Amino acid sequence: MSLEFLNAFKFMKKESFLHNLDPRAKLVLALTYTISALLFNQIIPLLIIFLSLIPLVIFGKILKQWIKSIRGLSFLVLFIIILNTLFLSLSFAIAMIFRICIMVSAFSIFFLTVDPNDLALSLISMKFPYEFAFSFSLAFRFVPTIANEAQNIIDAQQSRGYEMQKKGFINQIKNLFPLLIPLIICSIKRAFNVAEALESRAFGSKKERSYYYTIKFSLKDWIFTIYLILILIIFIFIKIQFSVMPDWLVWRLPV
Amino acid sequence: MITIYISKDLPLIIIENVDYVYPNGTVALKNINLNVHKGEMLGIMGKNGAGKTTLIRTLNGLIRPTSGDIYINNENTNSKSIAELSKNIGLIFQNPSHQLFANSVEDEINFSLKNLYLNKEELQIKTNEILKKFNLDKYRDRSPLNLSGGESKKLAIASIICRAPEILVFDEPTLGQDAREIESFIKLINTEKEKGKTIIIITHNIEFAFEFIPRTILMESGEIIADGPTQNVLNNNFLTERSSLILPQTRQLSLALQKIGFQDINKAVSKNDIIEYLINFLRNKTTSVQEE
Amino acid sequence: MDLIRFEKFYYRYKGNEEYALNNINLRIEEDNFILLCGETGSGKTTLIRCMNGLIPQFYSGFYKGKVFVNEKDTINTPIAKLSTDVGIVFQNPENQLIAMNVEHEIAFGLENLGVPPKEISKRIKESTSLTEIEHILDKAPFELSGGEQQRVAIASILVLEPKILILDEPTALLDPYMAKKIINLIKEIQVERNLTIIISEHRLDLVLPFADQMILMRNGEAIEHASRDDVLNGLNFQNLMLNKPVIYTIFDRLRNENLFFGKIPASIPAAIDSMKKLQSE
Repeated sequence: MSLEFLNAFKFMKKESFLHNLDPRAKLVLALTYTISALLFNQIIPLLIIFLSLIPLVIFGKILKQWIKSIRGLSFLVLFIIILNTLFLSLSFAIAMIFRICIMVSAFSIFFLTVDPNDLALSLISMKFPYEFAFSFSLAFRFVPTIANEAQNIIDAQQSRGYEMQKKGFINQIKNLFPLLIPLIICSIKRAFNVAEALESRAFGSKKERSYYYTIKFSLKDWIFTIYLILILIIFIFIKIQFSVMPDWLVWRLPV
Repeated sequence: MITIYISKDLPLIIIENVDYVYPNGTVALKNINLNVHKGEMLGIMGKNGAGKTTLIRTLNGLIRPTSGDIYINNENTNSKSIAELSKNIGLIFQNPSHQLFANSVEDEINFSLKNLYLNKEELQIKTNEILKKFNLDKYRDRSPLNLSGGESKKLAIASIICRAPEILVFDEPTLGQDAREIESFIKLINTEKEKGKTIIIITHNIEFAFEFIPRTILMESGEIIADGPTQNVLNNNFLTERSSLILPQTRQLSLALQKIGFQDINKAVSKNDIIEYLINFLRNKTTSVQEE
Repeated sequence: MDLIRFEKFYYRYKGNEEYALNNINLRIEEDNFILLCGETGSGKTTLIRCMNGLIPQFYSGFYKGKVFVNEKDTINTPIAKLSTDVGIVFQNPENQLIAMNVEHEIAFGLENLGVPPKEISKRIKESTSLTEIEHILDKAPFELSGGEQQRVAIASILVLEPKILILDEPTALLDPYMAKKIINLIKEIQVERNLTIIISEHRLDLVLPFADQMILMRNGEAIEHASRDDVLNGLNFQNLMLNKPVIYTIFDRLRNENLFFGKIPASIPAAIDSMKKLQSE
């Protein structure tokens, strides 16, 4: 058992036009695409939206991880196809798959290119309290540590004859105790250690906090945001005027 | 001098050309070849990240080699499940809190025994026996979470030894322990050794390895770079430097003594050899002074 | 003036019946390298937690007596305020690293204290060059080796410019070579910054050569606090079950055989000096 799949959303430092954007601009990106995807339920417009993401992914140098995150959806895709074709139509099913892919891509682009440090800063700049933003970034920081710990616990229990597969729902739940209890206890101990270290470094000092890092919404962020908003306006226009759109836009599968 | 136990039988553990590459492409083990005989005690040393814990995880199938084979008791481990392999190989991990979860010390032992499918009576007898052996019977009903660090380490070891595996593998058993705890650990492995158990110990504790483990392998970047009598391996400046260890203090001292004219001190290997050498030297000196 | 002063201090953790600390009276003076020794469970970590107010402010429990740090009462001076007097580096480096990269990690404490960015930048440069981690500033904590992690943890404390640096088994999770490098680094830091160092450590052979003083603990009591040589030659040290260095065992044995009457050496060079003397006598 491995926890590899988490990597599909893990930030990696890279030099690219996407990485250099302000996190807020990228949040606008994620939201614009999510809203656009929700506007339509026909194949062609959703396909166009989906395709328009691909150059971003390529220029952002995150193609590999993005493909991984899409591949992670395969089970869900199968589920949607079966359900929708049974109850609605294949065309609708395919459209829905594109919709899901767009939304997941938009957020995977966000998480893959936003430095979690900056994430906390952008939360603060959006008037979230510091403690909230900090605990958010702390959670990010400890994902790999806790994943590692979980793996160690699984290994330790398996080494004393514990078997993962058990039949029956109740048994499965019961069978999780030997893993969950040590994980919870270790996490509590860890939380104490972390808190102790934080206290020792003046966390919660009464003085006004200063910020060594700052994020800046620069010209390129403005240009990118305006571009995104324009796209959104065009999509909304198309949506409203859909009745007068050319036939190819509303094309459906013949089935 | 320490002689390695060499048997004419086939080794109990045979590791042949084992490689392990992580899914992300990192090479963790490279062309590992290792034989361990029944009843042997083997140390594994090397810096953090050298592949020591990956190597021991291949023994009970937690990690399956990317290529190469591991035989235990002449059987390829390839086709066997972790549960099957763990009956024979007991891995004892560094941190006891990674495995203690039951309501009581007794239940903790029962959990380990449960997977051996004993009947109720046998289970009771075995549990009593092991709790007594480890001096844990007074804590029988106590929650494992309320034990001290040393006691919970003992319980973790007991929870593996109660399954009576033929091979015991320890990951850093002396980490953060004081002399008393190390002494009681040594006592424990000596009794297991007397029973004919094969023991493998990963350790950073140079002096401990130097005095108590007859044979050691050194690992570096996933490879075994040395395999031999511990005192030869650790006294080799070139090897210890390559694997980021430091020379044992005995060796540092005898080298320094040699420099100031104690010529034949390099014959002294262990702490006791040096003591004996110095006692002899000082006694002879006082008698020669008296003669004058 | 004492940097740290314990006055008849008692402490017991909440839910425990036994006292973890029993009548502690200690005075720590400036510019010393102090080794804190004791068997497992003797109260070393608890004692350290009292030195920056974690006890009794963060860990609740029952206490009696007083602890002063730089003449500030640790019972009611906020821990944040004490952090510029005392810095603590803990055993597990991974749990002390809370930021996503090293530079941010080191800036964290100063940000909390509201230090202006320009000053932060200057101090980061100083403390990272002292700990030799300038080349890993943009790495994430989980990309670092254990030794690097501990260096970062030390730098993140040094940047606060405390007068006392306390380290609680800082090398427990490191391999011997890394441990040696960290201990050497701590000595360098002391010399460079004129700090007082208090270190609790199992690897006595690595630390003893540098120590000026030692504190011995047993069952929650500080049974001895004196110069290293006095402690090393005393009965208390002999009786405790500590991981005594090989040199100690050898010279202790020679002493018992009535062949050696000097002071037990704490390092290899000192041992060689003693042997030279014996040779020429």
